[in-house]
Amino acid sequence: MKRREPYDEQELQSLVRRALSRRQFLGRTALAAGGLALGSSFLAACGKKDGGAAADSTAAAAGGAKAINISNWPLYIDAKTVAEFTTATGIAANYTEDVNDNDEFFAKIDEPLKRGQSIDRDIVVLTDWMAGRLIKLGYTQAIPTGPFPNKANLVDNLSNVGFDPGRTHSVPWMSGMTGIAYNPKTLGRELTSINDIFDPKYKGKVTMLTEMRDTLGLVMLGMGKDPATCTLDDAKAACAKIKQARESGHIRRFTGNDYTDDLSAGNISIAIAWSGDIQGLAADSPDLVWLAPREGAMLYSDNMMIPKSSTNPDLAAAFMNYVYDPAHSAQIIAGAPYLSPVKGMGAELEKIDPALAKSPLVNPPDDLRARLHVFRWLEEAEETEVNKAFQDAIGA
Amino acid sequence: MAGTAMGGTRRNPWAPWLLVAPGVLWLLAFYLLPTLALARTSVGPEGVAWYDGYQRAFTDYGQHLLRSFWYAGLATVLALLLGYPLAYVIAFRAGRAKNLLLGLVVLPFFTTFLVRTFAWKTILGDEGWLVGLLGTLHLLPSEGRLLSTTWAVIGGLTYNFLPFMILPIYVSLEKIDRRLTEAAQDLYCNALEAFRKVVLPLSLPGVFAGSLLTFIPAAGDFINAELLGSPNQKMLGSVIQGQFLTVRDYPLAAALSFVLMTIITILVLIYTRLLGTEELA
Repeated sequence: MKRREPYDEQELQSLVRRALSRRQFLGRTALAAGGLALGSSFLAACGKKDGGAAADSTAAAAGGAKAINISNWPLYIDAKTVAEFTTATGIAANYTEDVNDNDEFFAKIDEPLKRGQSIDRDIVVLTDWMAGRLIKLGYTQAIPTGPFPNKANLVDNLSNVGFDPGRTHSVPWMSGMTGIAYNPKTLGRELTSINDIFDPKYKGKVTMLTEMRDTLGLVMLGMGKDPATCTLDDAKAACAKIKQARESGHIRRFTGNDYTDDLSAGNISIAIAWSGDIQGLAADSPDLVWLAPREGAMLYSDNMMIPKSSTNPDLAAAFMNYVYDPAHSAQIIAGAPYLSPVKGMGAELEKIDPALAKSPLVNPPDDLRARLHVFRWLEEAEETEVNKAFQDAIGA
Repeated sequence: MAGTAMGGTRRNPWAPWLLVAPGVLWLLAFYLLPTLALARTSVGPEGVAWYDGYQRAFTDYGQHLLRSFWYAGLATVLALLLGYPLAYVIAFRAGRAKNLLLGLVVLPFFTTFLVRTFAWKTILGDEGWLVGLLGTLHLLPSEGRLLSTTWAVIGGLTYNFLPFMILPIYVSLEKIDRRLTEAAQDLYCNALEAFRKVVLPLSLPGVFAGSLLTFIPAAGDFINAELLGSPNQKMLGSVIQGQFLTVRDYPLAAALSFVLMTIITILVLIYTRLLGTEELA
């Protein structure tokens, strides 16, 4: 170096330029950008799995205070109802399909609700046993009856349940059956029994649900036990059977609703499946069928509840009122063929989709109804024990 | 700034502290405090031995631990084998295509991690063309498929963390003065020896940084094992996620997290010793 004078600005700039050549600069920003991208995708992975009706969020924003947030399971509604509800009532509805598993969803909302914080939802839809837990924990508020006259349309056999006497804190969104979905064409045969899923021929091509009561209930039925009256030992024996099948590689995955992807892509041949999902896949995979095995199928209901943190209980009740109109219920069923809890839905469905109105998925015949089983209520200690055995069985 | 004397006689003594304060506060609030809370959780509720979670971490999940490090290690080696030659070519041979190639390395990051991994589900699917091709060539693993196998998980990890290997190696190669290799060749090294004696040692800081940036997140990853594996490929990250979110055994989940962190730290220290470098690229 010749000069040892204080830097002037020009020299400083050229030094900086030399020290940080353009290429290096690119390399470094790229590295930083990479880190950012990864970070945000981790967040995305932790957050909601499926942005169901993202378009509605704009409507919700425009509606100001008259907006509600609804969390429901995927493939559980038709494409039009949410928008028509907004048109009819002026209440914007942000309908999100972010419930994929009862336990997972509970883990998400438990802490804030326990601390009295908001979960930013006005309606959540969870299965009977989890609904019972939420109500028992005081995480829900009473559903206002004023804006909900259609509650009178609730079918009789669901209007009074053990976990919510008088249905003050919950109303069924829909009921569904848990059985087996498969493709008879690729399998080359018709299945009839639950135990067909354990046939060694289908090794690595089978999925079961992470929903304990559904998977365990079906496997127990296959073992000749009734989940409505089973003992702890029955449940543990079923867990052992599942564990053995998992360890041998027979069971490929344990899933939430996402078994539908594997099934329609042909990655799996048989799935323990919910009755209404297969209709939703018909566009891509018309050959798939849902079967209630001869040993029986499981019956459950998913229930709408208003979290205690919701500040819009009246608007939430207005939504419930809307979907408890028989005609609106029929339209939802036409998009997601489960069992409607609304009286008079059948006659309305006859008008818009006569073929579906006769389908056993929507209107189970008496011999199928006779084979439907409900998992018995588990006391807390029992639940912990069975759940532990089940989580161990599925390798969670 | 023009005309301002920069003699440095009137430096604010608080300046360094002010500069590090945001970072330190950030780490305190979002790293140290959560870590302490996690430590508190891991020793469990009253009435249970404090080491209960840790004991179960090893007895019940020892195989998941081994599997995580085995998968992450293999993915790191694969990423190094794939990434080093690529970084070398970009740094020394790419000419005017250098920026383009670097851009291509980073391009996949414009799509999120989750979506990219989902894409692999389609590529590796049982009915996909790849399985069909490999099946014809009798190259499929013993399960007769690619998806939901060990290889899919390791492949996914390698793919997802590859840019973290390539970029640091590229940066350290790029810094090397070309005249050094010329000098080596003047001193009777052939091209291979010049690489072994000059380029490789000088690029080690990049290899070191790249390996860490690949290995550490890969060992804790759960997305690849969840989407591309079966329950028999579960890595520790999946177990921790399941214990936190589904089973809700917080002490066990927290203990597992600490075990994972501790083992990674030990492995990194050993690795630092072996590679003998203090300088990160």
